[in-house]
Amino acid sequence: MATYSNNELITAYLARQIQDDDLCFVGVGTNGRAFTLAVGMPLAAARLAQMGHAPGAAVYWGNLLEPDLSVIPEHFTQDAFTQWHAAACPPDTGVKCDMLARRKFDVSFNSAAQLDRYGNMNITAIGDYRKPKVRLVGSLAQPEHFAFVRRPILLMDLDARSFVEKVDFITSAGHLSGGNSRREAGLGEGGPALVVTDKAIFDFAEDTREMRLRSLHPGVTKDEVLAAMSFVPLVPETIPETEAPTAEELARIRKDIDPNRILLKV
Amino acid sequence: MKEKLTTLENALSPIVSGSTVMIGGSLLRRQPNAAVRQLIRNKVRDLTVLSWAGTTAIDLLAAADAIRRWEGIYVGLFNYGLAPNFRRAVESGRIEVRDFSETAMVARLRAAAQGMPFLPIRTLFGSDLAKVNPEQIRTFDCPFTGEKLQAIAAAEPEFTIIHGYAGDKYGNVQWPVVRDTDDMDQPMAAGARRLIVTVEKIVPHDEIKKQPSLTYIPGNWVEAIVEVPYGAHPAACDTLYDEDDAHMSDYIARSKTADGVKAYLDEFAHGLREHAAYIEKCGGLSALSALNVKGRA
Repeated sequence: MATYSNNELITAYLARQIQDDDLCFVGVGTNGRAFTLAVGMPLAAARLAQMGHAPGAAVYWGNLLEPDLSVIPEHFTQDAFTQWHAAACPPDTGVKCDMLARRKFDVSFNSAAQLDRYGNMNITAIGDYRKPKVRLVGSLAQPEHFAFVRRPILLMDLDARSFVEKVDFITSAGHLSGGNSRREAGLGEGGPALVVTDKAIFDFAEDTREMRLRSLHPGVTKDEVLAAMSFVPLVPETIPETEAPTAEELARIRKDIDPNRILLKV
Repeated sequence: MKEKLTTLENALSPIVSGSTVMIGGSLLRRQPNAAVRQLIRNKVRDLTVLSWAGTTAIDLLAAADAIRRWEGIYVGLFNYGLAPNFRRAVESGRIEVRDFSETAMVARLRAAAQGMPFLPIRTLFGSDLAKVNPEQIRTFDCPFTGEKLQAIAAAEPEFTIIHGYAGDKYGNVQWPVVRDTDDMDQPMAAGARRLIVTVEKIVPHDEIKKQPSLTYIPGNWVEAIVEVPYGAHPAACDTLYDEDDAHMSDYIARSKTADGVKAYLDEFAHGLREHAAYIEKCGGLSALSALNVKGRA
């Protein structure tokens, strides 16, 4: 059996969630582990999907529509972004916003400081909004992703401080208080579909919209997962194992997509 | 055409304490930092500042205690993490924040450009962004379909400051053919009342008029234009120079404490009479040219 890293497992899993002709949004920012989660693994997964079952999958990255994922920049400083080849570079970010509002996106990759039982997320403030314990970055287009994208995918390391019963501030409305509450608030279809972590994968129950354990990564126990959360998700009687990457997927990730280990570095 | 070329000091003198100012640029691109350092030298306070994805310009103003209220989509230092001085000021209650998501801020900018009091979106149902801001985000029924929509109040700052690539003495500013377009500078300019632009380089009008479709900020909209080479430093101006990693790291290290950043501001803003002195302080044009991007003119 092939050995593989946790990041390779997640990347291969993400690639399988991308369907042919999907338009995927990938963010631009951050560094270190946050970069791997928000940018590195999503870009690698999109390319892996393109090389396999989803040749028509497209990425909107920063303000580049369909950047050439066969040549991903080696340095993420400003000029590398500026020079990255792409099919289109619309005149301003408003074009991307319009495409979001018109529900043109199928998948988005998101991360948050806090995420709750119903998939509401917070990147605005920890504590009281008016006088926060930690002021975070604001909102960016994260509310749009949960409002308009068909299948938003969260990528976060499992941590009791991040997986909380109730977020301090709802930046992006997920499934609100569950059931029909999202629809009643005025939102359409959408909201978070999957939560991909370093230990397990979650989805949301069709009826109550509560977070539900979907699979455990190989070697991880249910108790380890529950110990790293501040609330207890729905747990099915039998929990499948997250499907391991194939030898072909691993070869593509290592040789073609990320040979210098930039995307899956940490 | 009217000549609008002037100095930073003259261009920014109308901005006084209590003004409302839109700051252009996005993430580490084209932050109007030279203009911001002049505002800091002018000791303006209690500003209401609007931005798209603000980084160094907003954090410098926060460090100087110049901001009373901020409205926008983001303040941070991109891959350098949270904005230390902005964060400290919000956490202490000195800066009041009003967060807008991207479609909401786009609606605010386009409404201003169209002369409309608001534009509708349907993004923020269920979000606390709407809940905490009934003054600028209000639900109404669509007169055609009856659908619930959210009206977002126009962004109508008294002043707008944008840093651009190259312009002429009449205030016409052009973008390069290939650039990083992930920003809202053009819509900001289109909705501005009093528009002040700084540029990396003043070029002859004869060059501008040959390619008028590259003029994204027509001089007709502009009140003043100022030449400030490396005017976005320590942030980047895409196609010309990258962010200054050493300077950014030093700024962040010194921003760990209020006293630390005060000393930084004394050194890089208060203690310098003008932008040329800042350039010299940073080692002069020859030292800064090490940031220039390779393989370009």
